[in-house]
Amino acid sequence: MHLLLVFITHARKLSSYRRIKMIVRSILYIILVAVFASPSFAADLESRLNSLEETLKKQEQTIQELKALQNTLKTQEQTISEQRKLIEELKAEVRKSQPSVTLSAPEAKEPETSDQIQQQVKELSDKVDEVVEAQKKEIPSVFNPSIGLVGETVFSYRSKGSAQTGSDRPGGFDAFQRSVELNLAASVDPFAKGYAVINASADPGTGESTANVEEAAVQTTSLPWNLELKAGRFFGEFGRLSYIHDHELPFVNRPLALNQYIGGESRTDGAQLNYLLPISHYVSLTVGAGNQFGGDIPPNNVGDFRQGSGLNYWGRASTYFDLTPDISLEPGISGLWNPKTTDLGGGLLQPDGSTFTERERRLLGTDFVLSYRPLRNNQFQTVTWGTEVLYSDNRYDVTLPDGTLSKRAVGSYGLYSYLAYKFHRQWTTGLLFDWVENALNKSDKTTAYSPYITWALSHWSQLRLQYTYTDHNSVSGLLPDHAVYLQWAWIIGSHSHGWQQR
Amino acid sequence: MKSRPLSLLIITLIGLLNLWATPAQAAKIRVVTTLTDLADFTRAVGGDLVEVRSLATGVEDTHGIPMKPSFVPIMNQADLLVLVGFDCEHAFLPALLEASKNPRIQKGTSGYVDCSRGIVPRDVPKSTEHSAGDVHPYGNPHYMLDPVLAKTAIKNIYNALVAFAPEHQAEFTRNRDAYLAKLDARIAEWERQARPLKGVKFVSYHEHWPYFAERFAMDYFGTIELKPGIDPTARHIEELVASMRAEHVPIVVREPQFPEKVPSQIAKQTGATLITLPIMPGGVPNTETYIKMMDYIIQTMVTAAQGRK
Repeated sequence: MHLLLVFITHARKLSSYRRIKMIVRSILYIILVAVFASPSFAADLESRLNSLEETLKKQEQTIQELKALQNTLKTQEQTISEQRKLIEELKAEVRKSQPSVTLSAPEAKEPETSDQIQQQVKELSDKVDEVVEAQKKEIPSVFNPSIGLVGETVFSYRSKGSAQTGSDRPGGFDAFQRSVELNLAASVDPFAKGYAVINASADPGTGESTANVEEAAVQTTSLPWNLELKAGRFFGEFGRLSYIHDHELPFVNRPLALNQYIGGESRTDGAQLNYLLPISHYVSLTVGAGNQFGGDIPPNNVGDFRQGSGLNYWGRASTYFDLTPDISLEPGISGLWNPKTTDLGGGLLQPDGSTFTERERRLLGTDFVLSYRPLRNNQFQTVTWGTEVLYSDNRYDVTLPDGTLSKRAVGSYGLYSYLAYKFHRQWTTGLLFDWVENALNKSDKTTAYSPYITWALSHWSQLRLQYTYTDHNSVSGLLPDHAVYLQWAWIIGSHSHGWQQR
Repeated sequence: MKSRPLSLLIITLIGLLNLWATPAQAAKIRVVTTLTDLADFTRAVGGDLVEVRSLATGVEDTHGIPMKPSFVPIMNQADLLVLVGFDCEHAFLPALLEASKNPRIQKGTSGYVDCSRGIVPRDVPKSTEHSAGDVHPYGNPHYMLDPVLAKTAIKNIYNALVAFAPEHQAEFTRNRDAYLAKLDARIAEWERQARPLKGVKFVSYHEHWPYFAERFAMDYFGTIELKPGIDPTARHIEELVASMRAEHVPIVVREPQFPEKVPSQIAKQTGATLITLPIMPGGVPNTETYIKMMDYIIQTMVTAAQGRK
């Protein structure tokens, strides 16, 4: 009632539109105040708020669920992406394994039917079975070692006969099958490897080939402390080239000093221990003992009982320096000692009628290799200068022509030096200089000069042309001569690039 | 009897020297790699935990690393040897391994990390007769020039490092993932850049590029070498020039370790563009890393191909 009176009072005072507008607004205010002021509305509002709050909570929960779903989707998308990437890579692999010839679009095959696919699967299965069966076959050679065969023929012309040159080959024209070398190598077990080199060269006199075991040795591969032991018949480590086979030498013939003092290749029956110093600089030490040293020298003391003094003892130390990335120096020293050379080939008759019988063998050597080997084109260009100097200080029992016995020590020197220039992957030219004093008589000197050129047709075949002028002095009684050699060396089967032949 | 004390003394000295030279606990994993790309990957995965030495400097032929005795102590001290495999290193590695006297990195051990594991080789010869040249019996070993296949090498290096030092797996994984992400991004970019190379024919001196050509859809036309490791004969060059002219081969690739004379002569006679491309990081200037090298190869190849259009 009170509200109605207020309304009437105000209505009388206002007569215009403005008044009516104001009245309407006032009514609305009154209604609102009345409604909100009532207790029922308050209760209704509370329940609505609760409901609203509940709705909000549900919505929050839904949002959380959606967020979780979104994360799951992201993970799935990532997985799909990775899988797609993998499929692409696999497709690329498959493409690679397929033949390079591809069908153009008009020639593309129709999609295959399931029968065709089944047929292909069957064919593939049969093929797999065949392969499996093939694996079951017995292969007798499956445990065979690596096998390689080296052949080496030397054609030559020498201006003087063998009586005038001291050679075991005839003068004039000659063809010599110097090497027919069978190389075998394999691991013995996890701790050692074994190898053998069997050579069957022709006898210069009879022409008959006789198989000769040049090397047959076992070598450890897993000794501790950087040690390596070799035992059997092998080329002992002395100097730079004495343990290199003939066909692997940088020139046709073994240097005169090595023939004179070592006796050809450094073959021995014995054992050798190598030690690599465990430091950051390369230092290799080798010691060995054997009952022979030198391919042309027979075993000494082959009689009833051999004492330790009857063995040959040798040692070598070598190191290496990178002077620049392209230039290197590899020096070494070697020694050989046989304290008692009893029965070593008997006495050697000298031109003056005296007889020398070797009683003690002493040999020292020093060597170096200076190399220019540009890293970028080391297969096409290298320069190598190698030199080895030997000093022999053997002791002899001497029987003079009048029967007088005496002892004599003969100190003699010998050296070889070579310069090799590789100017193409296939071509190398070089010059070998030889100078040696006779180990029995140092007045007996020999000098030789050998220019040569090598044509390596491939890794497995090479031709070498060499001219050698040999100049003996008057003491030797031998005559100077000119010689031309043409060497052809080849290899079939397995071959390895050995450490010693580097 | 006199020699017995001397022998004992020598053995004792050797033992003491080895004990003195062997570090009680190596600070870093010592890794020796044959080539520079493998060194780059090993450094990327191993990070500060590895000390990496590469036998090659990058300028050499992959088959002709000189057998320097100075490599022997490096290999002697190594914990891991990382190599390309597929007989790529046959000319120098077996002898160096034997000389190294290091049982930890010999073939068949976990320290001998052959990165070709998992790679499907191309051009596996049906015969290893030498009449086919210096063939690789297990297939072409130059897969590293395909950056996607290089990822397999990275995986192998990662596996070897984890097997050697499992306590550092998390760091190796982090490094590997970071490098692979970088490499993947570059691969996508190289594939985009190399689109103009699709179907472009080229010849090279040695068979270095079959994997690369496959990846970037190029047409590897032939080699200047008569056969792998065999220098070209006059007749082979003549035939190659004739076929290149007939097929309009626009690019001659020379790998930097081979002489320029013959490739240059062939390019001149055929009107092709002669380019020099490295085969491992460091082969030419500004290619010190694998990614830089591939950048260089793609850019040079694309420039040559576009220059011909």
